[in-house]
Amino acid sequence: MCASAGMPPALAQSVPGPVTYQLDPNHTFVQFEVMHFGTSTLRGRIGPVTGEVTIDRAARIGDLRLRIPVTTVETGVRALDARLKEPDLLATTEYPEAYFVATRFQFDAAGGVKEVRGEFTLRGVGEPLSLVARSFACRQDAMLKREVCGGDFDGQLKRSRFGATLGLPFVGDDVHLVVQVEAIAP
Amino acid sequence: MFKSSLLALVAVLGVTAAQAEPATYAIEPSHSFATFEIGHFGTSTNRGRFNKTSGSVIFDKAAKTGSLDVTVDTTSLDTGTAAFTKHISSDEILNVAAFPTAHLVASKFVFNGDKVAEIDGNLTLLGKTNPVVLKAQNFNCYMNPMLKHEVCGGDFDTTIVRSQYGVSYGLNYGFPDNVHLVIQVEAVKQ
Repeated sequence: MCASAGMPPALAQSVPGPVTYQLDPNHTFVQFEVMHFGTSTLRGRIGPVTGEVTIDRAARIGDLRLRIPVTTVETGVRALDARLKEPDLLATTEYPEAYFVATRFQFDAAGGVKEVRGEFTLRGVGEPLSLVARSFACRQDAMLKREVCGGDFDGQLKRSRFGATLGLPFVGDDVHLVVQVEAIAP
Repeated sequence: MFKSSLLALVAVLGVTAAQAEPATYAIEPSHSFATFEIGHFGTSTNRGRFNKTSGSVIFDKAAKTGSLDVTVDTTSLDTGTAAFTKHISSDEILNVAAFPTAHLVASKFVFNGDKVAEIDGNLTLLGKTNPVVLKAQNFNCYMNPMLKHEVCGGDFDTTIVRSQYGVSYGLNYGFPDNVHLVIQVEAVKQ
């Protein structure tokens, strides 16, 4: 919102062949949500996330590689941020980054990304993860003079599968991931 | 979450017994946050969280009534991107230097069974006041094992129209007028 003015949103015209987009660090964050004592939702933000995504809309294939700096975890409560980094939760000293590598893309009829399936690695443990698009669009960004594609994606994981078990069951095992992503064409 | 899990083992989950009198609950700042969400060029959603919220709730489970008075420190905005936080805070948008707080007052709690389902109140932002309806996504009370007090809280959301508060920046080039507010709140019985 702060820096750029853009064109109305629309799926850009198909470009033949694969295009590799670099993630925009100003608009690429992971927010996690976890239930606290069955009452309210704790949220934290990790990012900016770095990486790149290659999409071939005509061939309907894609390849995504994300590096997620878990050391940046930030909840608005410093004591909780410090606690989240300890070995029984994110273990950021030993594992400063999480990774998401995905090569199974589903596209809608208009060529928009619907779902991305791959492997999420946290604390050195890899598990399958699916990110489902709540919204997806491409635009010609007026300031960047580049095509920008992105959207909002949802994911769901169980933290115990990755060994992050502190506070169970009073703090939930189900973690909802809310991912904002925008990526800039060359 | 960040204290001993052994203490948590003695927690009593669930709604505590209905009580006959209104009680005062103090907003618990480490579990009370307002986050705004606004669309970014029809592509993704930008978010920002206000880190400091304070206030109190008067709540009577038996009579199914409640009221609240909550202040959000608008200078505590945090978006994760320094330039974005600075711009939102500037006099083009929230003007936090002149208006360092947002204020929510409500005296109508709508119940669904024994749970709060909706709170109708008035939000004052940038010196302008408009009615808001906060819808509960979750609501619960529990005995907190660390605080040794009852805690009530939940998740609420609402959509405000920012131009009604005089925030019109960027409307003419496509930034939405609607802003979604996502609120986590827990409050401790006094």
